[in-house]
Amino acid sequence: MTRVKRGNVARKRRNKILELNRGYRGSHSTLFRTAQQRTLKALTTAYTDRRKKKRTYRRLWIRRINAAVRTKGTTYSKFIHTMKKDQIMLNRKVLSQLVILDPPSFSTLTK
Amino acid sequence: MFAVQANQASARAVVAQKRQVPAAKRASTVARGHSVKLPDGVSAEKLGRDVFNTTYYPKGEDVDMSRKPWVVIDAAGMRLGRMSTAAAKYLRGGNSGSYTPAFNMGVNVIVINADKVEVTGQKAQQKMYYKLGVRGKPGSMKEETYESLFARQPARVVEKAIRGMLPKNRLGRETFTHLKVYAGSDHPHAAQNPTDVTADVAASTHKDGQIVVA
Repeated sequence: MTRVKRGNVARKRRNKILELNRGYRGSHSTLFRTAQQRTLKALTTAYTDRRKKKRTYRRLWIRRINAAVRTKGTTYSKFIHTMKKDQIMLNRKVLSQLVILDPPSFSTLTK
Repeated sequence: MFAVQANQASARAVVAQKRQVPAAKRASTVARGHSVKLPDGVSAEKLGRDVFNTTYYPKGEDVDMSRKPWVVIDAAGMRLGRMSTAAAKYLRGGNSGSYTPAFNMGVNVIVINADKVEVTGQKAQQKMYYKLGVRGKPGSMKEETYESLFARQPARVVEKAIRGMLPKNRLGRETFTHLKVYAGSDHPHAAQNPTDVTADVAASTHKDGQIVVA
């Protein structure tokens, strides 16, 4: 076999990980082996949190709608029931934004 | 409860009106920093942040507690826990549509007549308050009945109740500082023009005119 120098193959592999670790504290942004653990954790959390984000925001919207609707004398459950019955297809995100940005429109929905 | 038939048309009209907005919104989201080629004849102006389609996130001035309204609750004759849940809700901002758990969106709460708050059943003799004694050493825990603590410092009973209903974190502790409890019936915050919400609190502790007994 001819002599093979390893070149920059290893360096490129490690830099790929270290690029993702910009801004991490201490050796987690500079040393490859400690950085890799943090990267794997970060990527996994990012994956699950992209799914959790959808849940979290829906919970927030529901809490906001519930709060606003209770000042009008009903509860979230009854409100949503009437929306379904009247076939108003506004989703919870839009409803919660209406509550904050356009209270008069929201009031007509609660009637 | 709802005048469904009568207002269906008006609600639908509102909905239809809202649904007509999209054209401008679509343009704004397209123009915002993404290099998308628009078809000929379509122009998009940079309208800035898409306020309607991004979930509301409070700005600095929304959170500034020094500008928040003040609210006063007269605890005379109310049940301790039931009154405390209502107060905690005001403190945390849970009655407004702009509630955000990460920030203090609540109001400043004053509780007066804390020395006239009541508990039912045997709680006066049986409810215990504990605290750690000598530097957390085991065996040095102190305990005190509700009666005795109430006799010493009635305001503290209410404070403990409400504190237990707020989140136990940095924000929760900061929220608690916006609660002022007074044993008597006057408070030094007249300059803040607090609104009296005792009636609303009483409504939530009563069901159909009957006091909700634990």
